[in-house]
This record gives sequence, structure tokens and C-alpha cells, in this order.
Amino acid sequence: MSNTMDKISPETLKAEYLTPENCEFFKSETGFTGAKINGVLHNRIILKRAMPFASPSDYICITDAEKNELGIIEHISDFGDKQIKIINSELELRYFCPVITEISSIKEKMGQFYFDVTVKGKKKSFTVKDISKNIRMHGENIDITDVDGNRYRITDFSAISGKSRRKLEPYIY
Amino acid sequence: MTGSRNEVHFDLNEKNEYIEGSLSFSHGQIFLSEGEESRRFSLKGIKEAVQRTYSGCSTVELVPENGKDDFSDSILLCRFSMGRLNEMGEFCKVVNHYIETGEETEISRKVLRVCPKCGRSYPKGLDVCLFCVDRGYIFRHTAELVKPYIKKLLFASILVTISSLLSAAAPIFNARLVDNYLNNTSLSVENAISGVISCVIVLVTLQVLSAVFRIISQRRANRISCSLSDELRRKIYDRVQRLSMSSISKKTTGDLIKRITRDTETVRSFITEQGLYAVEKVISFIAVLVILLTISPFLTFLVFIPVPIVVYVIYKFWATIRVKYDKQWRVESRVNSVLHDIVQGIRVIKSFGTEKREISKFDAICKKLAVVSAKNEQLWALTFPYITFLMGFGEFLVIFFGGRAVINGSLSVGQLLEFTLYLAYIYQPLRWISSLPRRLGEFTTSIVKIFEILDERDEKVISADPNAEFNNGDIEFKNVRFGYKAYESVLKDINLHVKQGQMIGLVGHSGAGKSTLINLILRLYETDSGSITIGGRDIRLIPEENYRRKTAVVFQETFLFAGTVYDNIAYARPGAERSEIIAAAKAANAHKFIMDLPDGYNTIVGEKGHNLSGGERQRISIARAVLRNPEILILDEATSALDPETEQAIQEALSRLVKGRTTFAIAHRLSTLKNADSLVVIEKGRIAETGTHSELVAQNGIYAKLVKAQKQTAKLNK
Repeated sequence: MSNTMDKISPETLKAEYLTPENCEFFKSETGFTGAKINGVLHNRIILKRAMPFASPSDYICITDAEKNELGIIEHISDFGDKQIKIINSELELRYFCPVITEISSIKEKMGQFYFDVTVKGKKKSFTVKDISKNIRMHGENIDITDVDGNRYRITDFSAISGKSRRKLEPYIY
Repeated sequence: MTGSRNEVHFDLNEKNEYIEGSLSFSHGQIFLSEGEESRRFSLKGIKEAVQRTYSGCSTVELVPENGKDDFSDSILLCRFSMGRLNEMGEFCKVVNHYIETGEETEISRKVLRVCPKCGRSYPKGLDVCLFCVDRGYIFRHTAELVKPYIKKLLFASILVTISSLLSAAAPIFNARLVDNYLNNTSLSVENAISGVISCVIVLVTLQVLSAVFRIISQRRANRISCSLSDELRRKIYDRVQRLSMSSISKKTTGDLIKRITRDTETVRSFITEQGLYAVEKVISFIAVLVILLTISPFLTFLVFIPVPIVVYVIYKFWATIRVKYDKQWRVESRVNSVLHDIVQGIRVIKSFGTEKREISKFDAICKKLAVVSAKNEQLWALTFPYITFLMGFGEFLVIFFGGRAVINGSLSVGQLLEFTLYLAYIYQPLRWISSLPRRLGEFTTSIVKIFEILDERDEKVISADPNAEFNNGDIEFKNVRFGYKAYESVLKDINLHVKQGQMIGLVGHSGAGKSTLINLILRLYETDSGSITIGGRDIRLIPEENYRRKTAVVFQETFLFAGTVYDNIAYARPGAERSEIIAAAKAANAHKFIMDLPDGYNTIVGEKGHNLSGGERQRISIARAVLRNPEILILDEATSALDPETEQAIQEALSRLVKGRTTFAIAHRLSTLKNADSLVVIEKGRIAETGTHSELVAQNGIYAKLVKAQKQTAKLNK
């Protein structure tokens, strides 16, 4: 058996990718994001990342409110600046993951980990249970999920202060 | 409008920036307040309030009546982070209840699951804030547990204390041995030898008595320990069995098992070991302290100079080393879980030829473990000798100043020896005290988890009349609304009347709410609003045992308990006659294959026994239902995933079973519902269509589309 595997044939890839030619996004009067896809107007659409951690700017699925898939954007960068702005603003609203800039303390009490951090210039406290499952590393990014399901991100572990790094270090591997 | 009982808070603005805002509901209007700004929304012309959950945030929207299908004309009320999910869900519930009935209710605060003291959310599966849990709570519950054993525990403590004191008396005789006989030149050799012998006899006697008392105490402690853990395990298991599904489903199976096994073990070991030694350590410490003070108050003072530093250093050392070893423990767990995956998935790995990839994955995590372990060992090796030195520092001071006192003649050699021997008795309890916070932490975590189950109040309404039953299988749903989560209604406006003996086919897409409807009939969950009556009686007023006795279910996946085929059928009605078991198996078309098994009805099934096929397991499940002879029968995908021949055998058995019973059947394969008296189509949690097969096909609605789709699939498969 050779080490190189055959790629999936183009015929097998049935997903219909949306391009700037067949898809245009807009903000509706009611504030929702809409799109004209293959000439059909959709006043409210939902954008979802297929790979939110590994590839947040590629493979964006578009569905209607009934969750019927309307198509996939292969790369956001294929679109023009104005369109990218609309796509990203919608994705930012859908994926709320504030960035932690400082870790003041991590205390353990009865198997729960209590984090005191700075997020967007504000002090924030949250609780993490089952720390090995709820701290995930993706390259330089570290994502933390608290007991409520809130997400927090450290975008560059090496860039935060040494004090903050030392606090978190025992919990990442 | 602030401070209203129907007020909830949101914390994000339209740009997902943190803010402080509130929503309140009163007199058919929603009031929104965000900083200086406030707005008012009338509910006239509004169909419902909907909560939409995204990743890390959520929204509440108002959907207008006759609004657009794509919800583009919905009104976005507010955005909020996930900590607000429950209260916003409750808010939507109150608003929707008002829209449906015109009746204004209040937000149920108990489901908000937020600590009123610190505002933190309760951890999943717990209704206690582990951050704020007070000492009183722990003390009350510990006292409750220990109460029946307190006398026995005290007795064992006294025994172990006596043993300890006897052992602690030895240095006194060591000192006498040195001062009176070994270092006394005025004594004759014979007298000195007889004095040495008497001292040795006393020392041996002390040690023997100490050992005897310790053995008796240990035996007592073991007995207490076994009874305590046994009682605790039984109590939790009993409680778990009695809890409602909604309470149980909040916890994972692993979590429940851990509480019954590991947490009880932690509590047991703390109470019987630490509790037992606490008395001994404290009394020994006081006794030795008195002896030391009697010998030399100055030297005693010297001993205690490093004590605060020693206790502080040990405490800090444990805190640091614990975090480090916790990390090692987590990496070890990861190694185990990777190994578990590899072993479990070995067939997949082999078939895809990915052995090398898996080996390198395992290598990487093993290397990580090696690095973490080496660092920890290094830390231990470098730090521990310093701590040992620090702990022995008091001894150096004693030897220096004590030695001087001996030379000056103010202290005898024996007294110095006695003093140094007692140092160990002083440091031992100190070491124990310094490790106490860690043990106490583990103990309090476990006791909170245990009592969280034991104290959990059942949500079910307890029937006033324990003899209440239902006389016929006439079932009526009135305005039923239900959701597993406060913010997500799975069933809405369910109104349905099923007559005694009717067979109802439940049809709909996956996730439409069919199984949820079944769960409500089975009383695994309680409705959020509305009622279900059976034989004209509210099901909440019928005791669970009486209700369950008259219902039976055949699931898609049949769970067989470890035991024989006979035991598994008889599970439905323990004590059934052997002839009844065989009759039930025959009615379920199971008798023939059972007789082909090596040991017939006595064949052991399950993990360590004979493996039955899906169809065979299904027929055992039907036999159970036959034996139960229920008024209400539920068939939840009972014939899916079976080959046509087996399905025919099972269909045959089922048609015998359903006769004369009120039956609810869920089936994706619509042909299996051809005998149903009526079909109920559920779409997005609501009843969308009802009628017979031909009526629904004629309506050309959802059901007709499903039938067409299945016919096309069938053609393609041919």
C-alpha cells in the first residue's frame, strides 16, 4: 500500500460552494443578516463555522431559519471587503468568545476551579469544572469553557504576562 | 421598572460588548432597560417569545403573529452570555404562558441555579454552590452521618488514645534508665542490672499494652468503617432509584457511580481514620507538651520557635506539590484514555492500517507524561530535604541548649534524651495538621456531592391517596407544554384524546418530540404546564408504583440484565409462574430460539454470557411486555433495524400484544403503523396532523410527504 492516499474525486464533493458571483450578503432593516443566493432572496440567514477552532474563516455553512442548508463558503477571503465585514460581524455575534488578557488567580475549591481574569478591560470571574476537558489548546490559542457554557480565549499564550502564564501552566499540557 | 419579581438581567449589547441591562414583564408588557435607555414592548400581536442559543451567547426574540416564515420580522429584544440562559428561559416561559392563557405568573427562582450569595452558577448536576458552601452545612451533615456511630467511634478513639499515651510514656522510662541506672556511679552493678531489667520490662509492657489497645481500636474502627460505608452506599443507591428522570438525567452515569463508590469511600475514610486519629493526636500533643514543659520550659520554647515556619512551609509545599501532581494525574488520565481508545478501536485501526499513527499519538502523550513526572520528581527531590531539615531544626536547638544545660548540671542526660525523644511526638501531630486541609477539602467535596443527592427534593407531585389507580386506558392531554431545559420547550400546546384500546401511531421527523411525548406518558418527566389524565384521573395523583404496574414499553434497544433468559423475562413480573414465562415467550415468538439455546431458559445472557442478536433481544423485550399485561403499551421504534423476516416475526408478536390495550407506537417506517386506529403527526413539538392513514394522505400535508419520500427510498433500494 502506498503512503499517499488518493484524494476524493471532485464528483464526490457534492457540496455547493457559494462564491461572490452567486451569493451576496446584506443587513436587513430589522438588523438581521440576509443573503441573495442564486437569485433567491433570504431575509434572514444563519452562518455557522464548520471548523470553528481549526479554520474559523473557512467552510462557513449558510442555512435559513429552518436550518436548511443553502450553501457553503469555502473561504471568507474570496469575498470583497464589504461582504467580509457583514460575514464577520454576523459570525462575531454568533460566536462569543471574549479574549482573556490577564489571569489574576485560579483557585481550586472542592474540585471546581475559580478563575479571576481580565476580559475586555473588565474583571470577570468564572468557574470551570473538569479542567482537563474544558481547557483546549489550538496552536497558540487556548480556549476555556466555564460551567455555564461561556467561552473564553487566550489568543497568544506566550504574549500574556509571565504571572498569568505561570497561573495557567499547571492546567495545560 | 425595577425590582420586579419578573425581572431578569442581560449582559451583552448588539455588538456583544458587556453591559448591564434588564427585562421585566408586567401587565402584558415587556420593559427593557439598558443604561439610561428604556423601551416598552406590547405583547399584542406577538405569537411567542423565543430564545435562540449560539456559541457562548444567546438572544431573546419576539415572534409576531402571522410573521414571516424566515423569522426576518422577529424583534430582537436582547443578547446575553450563557450564565443568563436559565433565567431568560424562565422569562420566556412566563411571557409565553401569558400569551397563551392571559394569566400572569411569576418566574420560578429555584430553577435559576445561581448562588444567591456569590452570583456564580451552580455546577452541572449540583444544586449547591461549592464556592460558598458554609461550614455549618458540612458540620450538620457530618454530624447526621456520624450520629449513629458516635459512641462506638468515641470508644475506638479512647482506645487508640490510651495506646498512644502508653507508647508516649516510654521516653520517661528511657530517661530513668539512663539517669538512675546507666549514668549512676553510686549504684552497685547488681542493682544497676536489676534496675535495667525492670526498666526493660516496663518498656516492653508499655509497648505490648499499647499494641493490644491499638489492635482492639483498629478492629472497632474497621467495623464502624464497614457499617458506615455500607449504610451510605445503600442510602445513595436507594435515593438514586427513587429520583425522577429529570433529576437523574442532570447527572451522567459515571457521575452517579462515582458518588455511590468513590465519594462514599472518601467520606468513610475521613470519618473513621481522620476522625479517629483527631482525638488521639490532640490528646497526645497536649500530654507531651505538659511533659516537655515540666522538664524544661525554656527548651520547650525553643522547640516551638520553628513550628509556625514549619507549619507554613509544609502547608505551602503541599499546595504547590498538589497542583503539580494534579497535572501529572491528568496527563496519566489522558494516557489511559488514549490507550483505552486504541484498545477499544483496534479493529478500526487495523482495518484502516493506521497503527503507526496511533503509535506516534501514544508516544507523544507518554513523552509528555515522562516530562511532567520528571519535573515533579525533581521538585520533590530538591524541596523535601530542606523541609526535613527545617522540621529537625528545633532538635538542633534543643541539643545545643540542652547539651549546655547538661554540662552546667541544670539538666540530666536522661532528661535531655527524654526531651529529644518527645520531639517526634510533637512534630508528628503538626505534620498531620498540615495535611489536614487537603484531606478536609476532599472530604467536604464528597460530602457535598453525597448530600446533594440525599437532600434532593423530588419534583413529582405525591399522590394523597396511595391506593389511587386508573380503571381504563383512556388518555387525555390538555394544553401540555414541556421542555427538558427551562429555555427550550420541546412540546407545545399538546391536546390529544386517546380512547381505551386504541392504537396511536406517532409520526414525525427526528427530534420532533415523539419520544418526549412517550416520556411524559411513562411519567419519567412532569409536564411544565397543562395536564395528562388517564381514566379521567390526573396521572400525578396516581402513585408511581400503581401507575407503572399497568404500563409496559418495548424500546428499540433492549437492555438485558446479567442473568438468565428466564430472569430477563420475569423482570416484568417477579414471581410469575414458569408456565406464564413460557406462554409470554411463545406469544412473543421467542420460545423457539430460546429452546435452541444451549441451556434453554436458563442460558446466561449479557456481557459474560450468550450473545443474542438484535431480533432475539427484541422478542425478549416483547415477552416482558406480554408478561406485564399492561393497560397502556408503548412501542418505541420496536421493529426498526431488523431484517424483514425477523421484523415479520416481531410484527406478528406485537399484533397479538396490542389487542385491547391503549397503544402508542413510534416508527420511522410508516408501513409498520398500518394497523393504527389513528396517526398523530408531530412537527416541531406541536401536533400538526391527526387522522387515519388514508385521511392524512388525502390531506396532502406532512404525513403525505413522508409517505412519498419513503416510497421513493423503497424504489431506490429495489
